[in-house]
Amino acid sequence: MSGAVVGPVLSAPGELEVAAPTANRQSLARALWRSTNGRIGLVFVGVVVAAALAAALGLTPYNPQFENPAALLHHPTWVHPFGTDQFGRDILSLVLDGIAISLEIACLAVLIAGVIGTIAGVVAGFLGRWTSAVIMRVTDMLFAIPAILLALIVVAALGAGWLNSAIAIGVGYIPIFVRVVRGPVLALRESGYVLAGRVLGFSRRRIIFRHILPNVAGIVAVQTSLALAWSVLAEASLSFLGLGPPPPTASLGEMVSEAGSLAAIAWWTLAFPSIAIIIAVIGFNLLGDGLRDAIDPRTRNR
Amino acid sequence: MTDEGPAGAAAPAGPDLEVAHGRWGLLLGVTRRFGTMVLTLFGVSVIIFLVLRLMPGNALTSALGVSAGLLSHAQRVALDHYYGVGEPVVQQYSSWLHAVFTGNLGVSLSSRTSVASLVATALPVTFELAIAAMLLGLLIGVLFGVFGALHPGGVVDVLGQGVSVVGLGVPSFVIGTGVVTFFASIFHYFPSSETFAGLLSDPWLNIQQIFFPALALSLGIAAAIMRTTRTSMLEVMGQNYVRTARGKGLSRRTVIWKHLFLNAFIPVLTMSGIQLGYLLGGTVIVEQIFVLPGLGRLLVSSITDQDYPVVQSVTLIFAASFVAVNMLVDVLYAVVDPRIRSR
Repeated sequence: MSGAVVGPVLSAPGELEVAAPTANRQSLARALWRSTNGRIGLVFVGVVVAAALAAALGLTPYNPQFENPAALLHHPTWVHPFGTDQFGRDILSLVLDGIAISLEIACLAVLIAGVIGTIAGVVAGFLGRWTSAVIMRVTDMLFAIPAILLALIVVAALGAGWLNSAIAIGVGYIPIFVRVVRGPVLALRESGYVLAGRVLGFSRRRIIFRHILPNVAGIVAVQTSLALAWSVLAEASLSFLGLGPPPPTASLGEMVSEAGSLAAIAWWTLAFPSIAIIIAVIGFNLLGDGLRDAIDPRTRNR
Repeated sequence: MTDEGPAGAAAPAGPDLEVAHGRWGLLLGVTRRFGTMVLTLFGVSVIIFLVLRLMPGNALTSALGVSAGLLSHAQRVALDHYYGVGEPVVQQYSSWLHAVFTGNLGVSLSSRTSVASLVATALPVTFELAIAAMLLGLLIGVLFGVFGALHPGGVVDVLGQGVSVVGLGVPSFVIGTGVVTFFASIFHYFPSSETFAGLLSDPWLNIQQIFFPALALSLGIAAAIMRTTRTSMLEVMGQNYVRTARGKGLSRRTVIWKHLFLNAFIPVLTMSGIQLGYLLGGTVIVEQIFVLPGLGRLLVSSITDQDYPVVQSVTLIFAASFVAVNMLVDVLYAVVDPRIRSR
């Protein structure tokens, strides 16, 4: 088991510090761009991030909440490229705003899940039997509740809101980070250079931060991208169910939900928020796939 | 490595069933697995209970609204006792646990009927929906996966990849809303507008009411199962025994299903178990769109009403089904693969 993960050959003492087996950053970026998944993912994520930045900087064409009674349910025109909704609000502006909110919640959620999950995973993989057993049992229990349901009951307990959505979604994803990180850490613990580090009397902290963490960074990066995809989806689902941040906060899921009754006469009310969610979800998923291909050359040509 | 599902869950390395030799070994493995399952569910019930105890305010006060202020002290105490909200946390938990085992799940705060009767009417709907979606997902996923892998880059393969991109990227609530709008507005066809028909009382209406939600739910599962089947098939296709089977002159169908698919099936089984979590979560959303009176709809309405006796019991039922099916999957490994049975 450990044989597969043993890093560079320990010839010179200096190489002991070379932790990540992946080559330099530039070639990683090139490998990412070379894979079709990675390229499409990068482009989609770029579009989504640009849209979110535009909304955050107040660059939406209209005030998203401005209701124009003279323009109810207008179909897409040059004045309103995505049309208007039943209150006369500009859908392009609402979608941009919704993407920004959705990304903010998703990023915070993934930060929560990633930090807690990675720490728990490293601890469970590296420290003793009992700590590991306790963490893994709790993870199993959290895993037994489907992630979206876990998010739902956290929202039920905390109430709907911006921060609560992020916490709820983050909690739902913690067990996945724990499982994904722990496996490689278990293998790394037995690897040549970690054993060598122990023999040389390196502190536990030094081994974890300089030898273990850099080696799981790739896995965490891949999982972060996939987690972002899931979080965007979960945020949209929560607000679709009416359990997201309360109005007037713009939300893509809520827009889809409200468009359900309008779509027959005004397709654009359903189409554009849906497309925004789809681009974000597919983008982060493909970026995650591309990152995995770039980091692990064995899967590159599949 | 197998693909990840929409939930991003990493596939466990393989069968978790340590089985000793012989028939008793299998029984022993199943028993041990069952023990773990019971312990896990116990922990799950504690987690659900603790999370819901974070709920601000007294649910009784919010259920009664302004009129709560008019209650006399004795009335309050009596009501608190009836709904079980005034007691210390540990006592509340143990009485809930006791209730779960005796099948009396308490009284719903919002509808004032017993939780058990609410669950009993909702459970069959979700059960039917989940099974229909799983079967559809397996059917679509396995067919595209197997025939796509036979000719990588061919028409079926490309079509399958397209389905998988849609299934992984388009949320079930977008598919659901789209389907409802399309059929309702263009064909004026919306079977869900009629009251839900049981499978036995009106099978034809029931099938119409279940089919579209199941389809909306199944695409995500189909995508994950398809990708797993395809990867797994491609790995098996290079094996010597497949060449031997072909060389012996066995029919194409026998080689595909008996030698290729059966050997490629274990990762597909693992993936199906993982996808069930996604599926159970998905029922919550799909039932909302298609107005199906199932557990998911019950859960969402009880969350909105802060009706936590219902929330905790329904969540526990979801978790229990998820854990139970995953245990079943572990047992199925041994049934499907004789190598695991005799290891």
